[in-house]
Amino acid sequence: MANRVSSLMANMPIPARQFVVFAIMGLMLAFAAVMLFSSDEPDPEGGPPTVRRLTEEQYRNAIADIFGPETEITGRFERPFRSHGLVAVGTGAAGISPFAVEQYEVSARGIAASVLSKKRRAAFLDCGPKNETEFDAACAQKFLGETGRLLFRRPLSQDELSGFVGLSRSATGQLGSFYAGLELGLYSMLIAPDFLFRIERVAAGNDGAIVELDAYSKAERLSFFLTNAPPDAELLDAAASGSLDGSWGVSRQVSRLMDSERYPEAVRSFFADMLEFDDFGETSKDPQIYPAFNSVVAGEAQEQTLKTIEDHLLENRGDYRDLFTLRDTFLTRSLGVIYKTPIPKREGWQAVRFQPDANRAGIQSHVAFLALHSHPGRSSPTLRGYAMRKIFLCQEVPDPPASVNFTAIEEHVDKANVTARDRLDIHSTEPSCAGCHKVMDPIGFALEAYDGAGSHRTHENGSLIDLSGDLDGQAFASTNDLAEALRNHPETPRCLAQRMYTSAVGRDITWKERYYLDWLIEGFADDDYQVPSLMERIATSDNFFAVVRPMDQPARRVAKNNAANGDGQ
Amino acid sequence: MAHKTASSRLWLSAIAIAAGGMAAWWWWPDDRISAESGGLIRDGNASFIVTKFAYALGPDAVGTDSCPNGPSKNVAEIFSETANGKRRAGETDEAYGERIEAGGRAISNAPDGRNFCVNPEIAPLDPNTQIMLDPKAQAGGIDLDGKNSRSKSDLTSGRLDFAAADGTTGVDNQFWRAVGCNRSYQQDGPSRGFEEGMYVGEWGILISLSGVDDLENDSDVDITISANADPMMLSPSREALDYGTYSRDREPRFRGQTSGRIENGVLVSEPVDVRFHYVVNGMYLERPLREARIRARLSADGVMDGYLAGYTDVVELYDFQFGYRTGKDAEGKPSDEARRVGSANGAARVLGHTCQGMWQSLHKLADGHPDKSGKFTSISTQYKFEARPAFVVEQSGKNAKQTK
Repeated sequence: MANRVSSLMANMPIPARQFVVFAIMGLMLAFAAVMLFSSDEPDPEGGPPTVRRLTEEQYRNAIADIFGPETEITGRFERPFRSHGLVAVGTGAAGISPFAVEQYEVSARGIAASVLSKKRRAAFLDCGPKNETEFDAACAQKFLGETGRLLFRRPLSQDELSGFVGLSRSATGQLGSFYAGLELGLYSMLIAPDFLFRIERVAAGNDGAIVELDAYSKAERLSFFLTNAPPDAELLDAAASGSLDGSWGVSRQVSRLMDSERYPEAVRSFFADMLEFDDFGETSKDPQIYPAFNSVVAGEAQEQTLKTIEDHLLENRGDYRDLFTLRDTFLTRSLGVIYKTPIPKREGWQAVRFQPDANRAGIQSHVAFLALHSHPGRSSPTLRGYAMRKIFLCQEVPDPPASVNFTAIEEHVDKANVTARDRLDIHSTEPSCAGCHKVMDPIGFALEAYDGAGSHRTHENGSLIDLSGDLDGQAFASTNDLAEALRNHPETPRCLAQRMYTSAVGRDITWKERYYLDWLIEGFADDDYQVPSLMERIATSDNFFAVVRPMDQPARRVAKNNAANGDGQ
Repeated sequence: MAHKTASSRLWLSAIAIAAGGMAAWWWWPDDRISAESGGLIRDGNASFIVTKFAYALGPDAVGTDSCPNGPSKNVAEIFSETANGKRRAGETDEAYGERIEAGGRAISNAPDGRNFCVNPEIAPLDPNTQIMLDPKAQAGGIDLDGKNSRSKSDLTSGRLDFAAADGTTGVDNQFWRAVGCNRSYQQDGPSRGFEEGMYVGEWGILISLSGVDDLENDSDVDITISANADPMMLSPSREALDYGTYSRDREPRFRGQTSGRIENGVLVSEPVDVRFHYVVNGMYLERPLREARIRARLSADGVMDGYLAGYTDVVELYDFQFGYRTGKDAEGKPSDEARRVGSANGAARVLGHTCQGMWQSLHKLADGHPDKSGKFTSISTQYKFEARPAFVVEQSGKNAKQTK
């Protein structure tokens, strides 16, 4: 090979040879510059390994991936618990109620019956006894082993598999049907904590305090982070083969998962979580005041924002910060009523570009955000200001004092010539209120340009609305100014990076991880604030898989536990 | 040299193609629409969807001096007043009811079996259909012909203009004279309003103004009155929503374009022929209005409230309102005959009129569009309406609602 290159070069005319030499030197210089000026990832610090309950979406995705999207899930899901701004973190903190257990049981029964029904079983079983009343141990082992690997997101240990096979055997004897027995085995898996919870395990063979997750837990983190679904067979194979122990193997899987159809779903799911869209389940509007707002519009409003985010961040590889000034979006005719915008497309989504004077810049001016953070019958600068600080800037605002007197506010709601600003001025005289309201209200005042359902307005109760406010020293007087202030706030990209990482690892960031967060933000800026690049950076970083060894788990016990759990099978 | 020239041409062609491609990419129209802020008037356009629509009629006439002979009668009532229609001794309510209905059906047909609803022109004069000749009767609406017809001959012919409660004189509203003594056209009668179909998406009306500078005063505005091709957008309590988007019916005959003016917040249009959809009992019909004009007040919040009035061809009015002879099915074919005949006779029975009676009244009271012989062929018809802000767009595709 080297000889061929030398011979090729020797035969080149001198100018061409000079060009090739300069080109190679240029490339080497560029590489050296990148190496010199790009900062290295800080040493992994890790946090505790987590146990997280599958979200409703993840549960549904798991069942759809393993048994097909036509598999009906009949149980209902509890309202998720949010912690540190994310349900993704709350899933590791909330308990499980008797209602949830009951509903998981209902779903498991339905799924197992559907999968092993006469109509569908052939799609999952390529074996079976000649006589249905007899138990076929090899077939049961094969089905339960393969299905269990996908459900538990790791191979079953021999003890676990024997347990499920034994259960199926005894059920076959009692029920007189191999398939009924297998159904019970599958049902048992579907209600097992190993399916319902993402239980992270630490890799064996490392005596340090900072260790890595085992290969299957790595696969699980990668998969749920990048597809919001459990690992597929290829990812589990990669875990089994040890290829996730090296950065090349991880990068390969990250690229594959980010190219998959599920990746946009994962991005949407993250933003739906960050934007607290699960709260729409409890959001209602007074139909007399906001006749255009109904449950269909609420659903479409969420989809509008998610569609806009997907289009901007993934299709156009846009700058995350531009989400706060973006005027391109999508509307349906129902949403067009609230936006007071003509929508020529009869059905589906119409791509729309709001003009600069249309008072719609950024996702904070979308109906989803505005309606969610309002009262049923009126807007609220406080709720909107609080939400902007909490959701977009990751800033904490304390809860109101228990003794707060709301009557002074309520008395003035519908009075002539009284705006929200006038009403909230009352708080400035209450020292216990003033501290927090000074933080929340000034940024919310700009969004008073929209009523409680998100329609644009210029007056409230007959008075012209004053939109002026302030965001951490940046004064503004219009919704467009607020959009710019939010976009350019230094905490805006930092907050996203923090949320993204905490969502991925399922816990709050630790004190020691702040350098890693700085590194992520630096990289985010270098990548022009492109979210896919940020996600790739997180997923391929050593910190992503690092965990602090649990206090009660010395290295030897970890190794023993992993062996018992089938690690490396 | 030739080789060099060919090579240069190749390069130039490649550059031209690349430049063309880039230009095409740059200027290729995307389907993203531009959205602006604003209220009702945008780029000089303001549109409305009609949310209330009913015949503009006067105060109840039945039971007053306006109907001295009582209300019009249906065939069962007419039969019951004949010798054969009297109740026989010992006859039960049920048996008598059945006999009356059968008798009514019998007088609904000619001796050769042809039904009078389908063939009203062959029917003998129906003396039981009353028309409202009272010169003192009132009705709202517009003076269509610019004349206040109150002469003796007008009194004789029945073509008397009305005075409205708001002081308007010369109101041409002969349809009210034709139906004023029918029970179903009184204040609480079922025929007075028919907007339910509008709220379930069967039909609708759009009004668009263009070239509007000021909703209070504008000497020249263009007006398009068209049939709506989309269902009305409603609130949970089934009220029309403001600022919904609607498509005009793509058929040119379902739109009328005219001009007009706004004076002190009142829109007045020039006459134009318009045509709307109308659905009865699953039959698709058309409601035409010749020389239709609007006089309506525009409120500050964009609500239009007033009259749409003109002349309706007598035969067409009979067909969409009483006889349903032109009813079509969803595929545009003539509706099943049994449905057409049954609906017309059933409606006449329930609403308290006869088909032939209405045919005769409409012809007698017709006051517009005389033919060569001088016979009037249309009847003045007034509608009261309210319209609210909307966006109206053109639609290249198929109508969401079937257009027949």
